[in-house]
Amino acid sequence: MSNLRNDFPKVVHEVGLRDPNLVVLVGDISHYRLQGFAKDCPGRYYNIGICEPTIVNMAAGLSKIGFYPVVHTIAPFIVERSFEQIKIDFCYQKLGGNIITVGSAFDYAYLGCTHHCYNDFALLSTLPNVELVYPASYEELDLLFGQTYNNEFLTYFRAPMYGHEVSFKPSDITIGKAIQVQEGEDLTLVAVGTQLKSAKEAADALKEQGISVDLIYIHTVKPLDAQTIKKSLKKTKKCLVIEEHGIFGGVYDAVLRISQELDEIKCFSISIPNDFIRDYGTYQDFCLKLGFCQGGVLKKIKEEVLI
Amino acid sequence: MERREEGILSNNIINKDLRKKIIEVVYGAQEGHITSSFSIIDILSYLYENILKFDSKNPSWEDRDYFILSKGHGCVALYVILQKYGFIREEDLKQVSSKNGILGGHPDITKVPGAEASTGSLGHGIATALGVALGLRIRSKHNKVIVLIGDGESNEGTVWESALVGANLKLGNLCCIVDNNGSAAQVLPVPEMQKKWDAFGWETYAIDGHSDQEISDVFSKIKFEHHTKPKVIIANTLKGKGVSFMEGHGAWHAKIPSVDEFESALKELS
Repeated sequence: MSNLRNDFPKVVHEVGLRDPNLVVLVGDISHYRLQGFAKDCPGRYYNIGICEPTIVNMAAGLSKIGFYPVVHTIAPFIVERSFEQIKIDFCYQKLGGNIITVGSAFDYAYLGCTHHCYNDFALLSTLPNVELVYPASYEELDLLFGQTYNNEFLTYFRAPMYGHEVSFKPSDITIGKAIQVQEGEDLTLVAVGTQLKSAKEAADALKEQGISVDLIYIHTVKPLDAQTIKKSLKKTKKCLVIEEHGIFGGVYDAVLRISQELDEIKCFSISIPNDFIRDYGTYQDFCLKLGFCQGGVLKKIKEEVLI
Repeated sequence: MERREEGILSNNIINKDLRKKIIEVVYGAQEGHITSSFSIIDILSYLYENILKFDSKNPSWEDRDYFILSKGHGCVALYVILQKYGFIREEDLKQVSSKNGILGGHPDITKVPGAEASTGSLGHGIATALGVALGLRIRSKHNKVIVLIGDGESNEGTVWESALVGANLKLGNLCCIVDNNGSAAQVLPVPEMQKKWDAFGWETYAIDGHSDQEISDVFSKIKFEHHTKPKVIIANTLKGKGVSFMEGHGAWHAKIPSVDEFESALKELS
């Protein structure tokens, strides 16, 4: 099973070998995983310390003189603690750069709420000059990082602990483009990142029951492929968004806005409620509790979407 | 560590014309921080005249030295310097904070040629400077990096994160100047500033930030060399230095002079 924390060092290593402008700064995590990069790209790897705002700000300084910085640490400590550095030092100054986080949503379920980050997309999507990417397989991270790491945007990669286990043709994986996983007529499922797995399993079960699902996969949250979603909504008139993100400000909100341009669209979501999840347990425990699983998706569809 | 006890600063007032221009800009804009600009203007003037390499016709010249004004509210001092050296026009100074102007109450690098960081929220410029200094070292380049922060700004945690990181990375091509004008003492004092930076592992100096001679002397000692201690200059300064009724703390931090005060200030600086 894919764990992008293990995979992302390979991706930056490969890019670093061919591009001398790639520099990696970490906040004292993944240090050993990045030793290959450190060895082969001398002088371009720094374990700065536990000071995330300063790391983000330093990355902007590197960007200012032509480097393509990658900042890596745990999602809440970058997105929430260092939000102003992202806003001012990257976005306001129109500097490009990259952030690769782990520990978004409740990947670190067992560590408690200080290590959860439910609203990264909501916060960052308020900023101009930002791209939000949620690759949920090695191939997606590899291709999407390659397509964006040296552009003029601050590109945020939410690297999940678990992948969706679905393979796509490389030519189908393009920044800003949704993937039409399957076509259907009865309802639209918009699956974001890892939750493609649950959505696909639910769609397969529904097919056996004679219900056809238009399944759209989102790996780029900003810019969102509104056109593909809109086309599907026009066809099915019913939509369920499944995303490991807070109820406000994620893809569900964006789909609601898209639906406002159309007539009589019913939109629902399986999202993270607007509360701290104070439980402990595993990622899988949290998924079952919140409905991020085949059963949860089917229940939502039968009890709300298709009524 | 070279130590100079804080004490009575020189009574001599230099750069009177630049001070007059700062007052004219702020009076014209009806916005700005005169006294915060006065405490740094002598340092900026010396840096641009004697230390920094730049090409005002090509502000992004890659061999330039980098000056980052971390205490962005002192930007009127930077603006009058940038105008003096040809980065911006006299006309720009007359449109500070106006709808058609490129100069605001804090600098925006997307608009201001020669400004190296969009500062204003305190505690950012110094970390930007670390990144620039590190990047230049990666490229084996020898451009100087100079960042100016305030003592009030030194209440911010990122200043001390940066102090740790700069020393740990041995960013010897970086010099931080602390405009030690006593602002912090109004609310949250930062006592023994020089000892603190010394303890963080920087090569420290203390000077009278209004003395051309002392500014000159300190820069004759500083070597901008990679893999050495970063440098910090505690520049003891006086907020509002140069106009008697503005000096010190209190109302004049962001006050706009009346007509009478404007004329009195210009008279003092004549």
